[in-house]
Amino acid sequence: MSTLSLIGQILFAGLAIGGVYTLVALGIVLIYRATNVVNFAQGDFTMLGAYVLFALSNGEKINFFVAFLLALVVMAVLGLLFELGVYYPLRNRSFLPVVIATIGASIMFQNGALAIFGPMPQKVRPVIYASGNGGITLGGVFFDYQYIVILVVTLALVLLQYLFFEYTVLGKKMQATSQDKDMARMLGIPVSIMIALTYIYSTVIGGLSGMLVAPIFFVTHKMGVMLGLKAFAATICGGFGDVRGAILGGLALGVIESFGAAFISTVYKDAFSLLLLLLFLLIRPQGIFGEKVAEKA
Amino acid sequence: MNKRLALLVAAVMVLTLFITGCGKTSKSSGDKATAPIKIGHIVHMTGSAVEAGGEEKNGAILAVEEINAAGGINGRKLILVQEDGQSSNVGVVQAFHKLLEDKDIAVIIGPSPSTQIAAMLPTINDAKIPVATGGTNYGLTHSGCQWLFRFRPHDGMSAQAMASFMVNDLKQKKVAIVHSTDAFGNGGRDLAVAALKKLGVTPVLDLGYNNDEKDFTAVINALKKSGATGMITYMTFSPDVGILAKQIKQQGLKINWIGSASVTATPARQLAGEALYGTYAVADYHPDANDKAKKFADAYKAKFGKDPDFYSSWTYDAVYVFAEAMKKAPDLKPESIRQALLNIRGFQGAEGIYNFDQNGDGLDQYNVVQNVNDVIKLVKTIKAQR
Repeated sequence: MSTLSLIGQILFAGLAIGGVYTLVALGIVLIYRATNVVNFAQGDFTMLGAYVLFALSNGEKINFFVAFLLALVVMAVLGLLFELGVYYPLRNRSFLPVVIATIGASIMFQNGALAIFGPMPQKVRPVIYASGNGGITLGGVFFDYQYIVILVVTLALVLLQYLFFEYTVLGKKMQATSQDKDMARMLGIPVSIMIALTYIYSTVIGGLSGMLVAPIFFVTHKMGVMLGLKAFAATICGGFGDVRGAILGGLALGVIESFGAAFISTVYKDAFSLLLLLLFLLIRPQGIFGEKVAEKA
Repeated sequence: MNKRLALLVAAVMVLTLFITGCGKTSKSSGDKATAPIKIGHIVHMTGSAVEAGGEEKNGAILAVEEINAAGGINGRKLILVQEDGQSSNVGVVQAFHKLLEDKDIAVIIGPSPSTQIAAMLPTINDAKIPVATGGTNYGLTHSGCQWLFRFRPHDGMSAQAMASFMVNDLKQKKVAIVHSTDAFGNGGRDLAVAALKKLGVTPVLDLGYNNDEKDFTAVINALKKSGATGMITYMTFSPDVGILAKQIKQQGLKINWIGSASVTATPARQLAGEALYGTYAVADYHPDANDKAKKFADAYKAKFGKDPDFYSSWTYDAVYVFAEAMKKAPDLKPESIRQALLNIRGFQGAEGIYNFDQNGDGLDQYNVVQNVNDVIKLVKTIKAQR
């Protein structure tokens, strides 16, 4: 195996896992922008999405892609319930009670999943169903179809999201809400609905990331914990509250981890992301694209 | 309510408590010759280990039912008293204390995770009551505790079995060790290195990874670079095994693989499918290993509708061995039971033949099994040094 293909394999693995971090990070950023709430249950949305897909597609009673779309709808409903149950009653309090409520929701989601689905890890079929390895080897580098799907979906979502926020009235209303709720309200924008929509959207992309990683990670009630943590690290490195930051931060984190594990130490793989986080907090706490905290206040 | 009435009510309540309390004690001390014998069992009913806990519970229940159907212990029936260990170190110690409160409990079956037994050790030493465990960490029974009895072969034996099979049977000399970085994985690595050294082999690679790893590309690259033709694994979680197996196949690595029990665990096989075909593992329990194991498998399947695994087999054996000791012991004092346990020789259990040594280790053999198209076949049984 040549060094080039070796590096290619590591790079691809890093980008792919980084794509997953990005999807989770996007959800965190959107909710933070809209409501100033750090949602600690975002990682668990991935777990919930994966379990919903598992429950719907298990036994192949309905077509997988129909089940996939249905799961997204279920996630949208869950997102609305989450907003109504966790954010809405506490919306006029400071951010702390809401953050703690999201932690509570996270614990509830994990134990609820454990109670319903049990501790046995579950398997979900990949989006592209191929016999054999489920991927293709090109130039000594193995490309897992599912990872390719994740990267494509991440890119497509980022693009769609950009177009949505920049070029549609609804997107602009949501942006306005996230920038200044009172001003938006005075301009006649239904702020509550905008916030509910943000939660729904964040839950759906969180769930989507879970459905996409389920065939690779396998579905367990704890699968969102590590993802949530890494996504937080990614958002902080990228600049909290910045969509570009979430994308760059997520991908960078995945690649740095992957190369660190390959060339420095597999044991300290998880430490690399935390080290990066620490460096950013020390040297550039606002992240790559972040605004200064003073401006936000 | 006026003060005097309140006082009266309080007095009556205290009295009732006192009287019922007294009633209970006099009853249990009354008919000792026919009263049931209680076996305490710490079972994980909540938390992450509930699945293993359920298997352990089933194994113990089956053994108790069989023994009671056959007449119990000198005419006395066995009953299980279960406490939730909550899948945590704190939980098992609390459950253990709770069981110790019940003075009628003669022996206690503890949990499997080695760290939890380690957390219980000081209390076990103080309590002076025989405790069974399925924890395989070598140090547990070599720390001077006289009351801990192990119903599975320890990790030193699995390391010997894996090293011997890799070098003598598979004839591989370029061996890599891949292990998780927790107590189980690191401990296993040390024992495997030692066992290989005895066979004149120095591992070409020794690589740790963190539990819940999702991408093993780095590990696989290191394996490729090392030129290893054989791999010994100590991996704690079977989903990790599933991911590693899939990625090894995807990234085109051919290697002879023998690992600890997680390699043949049901979750790993379900998740990895054919990526695990042809791999070997050590297993303390296999239904074809002996007649008792076969009988146990049949009875278990009839009662619970599924195949047993090593979690259920060791608690099944623990109840049987405890029962045997209690039959032989002159009385049910902890010290008498302990001596009777130490005197047990050649007792055939589902896991193997029990001969307890002074450390409390009952077994000294390991089965090597192979995944043949998702069927776990017994390859051979390797006797290990204690």
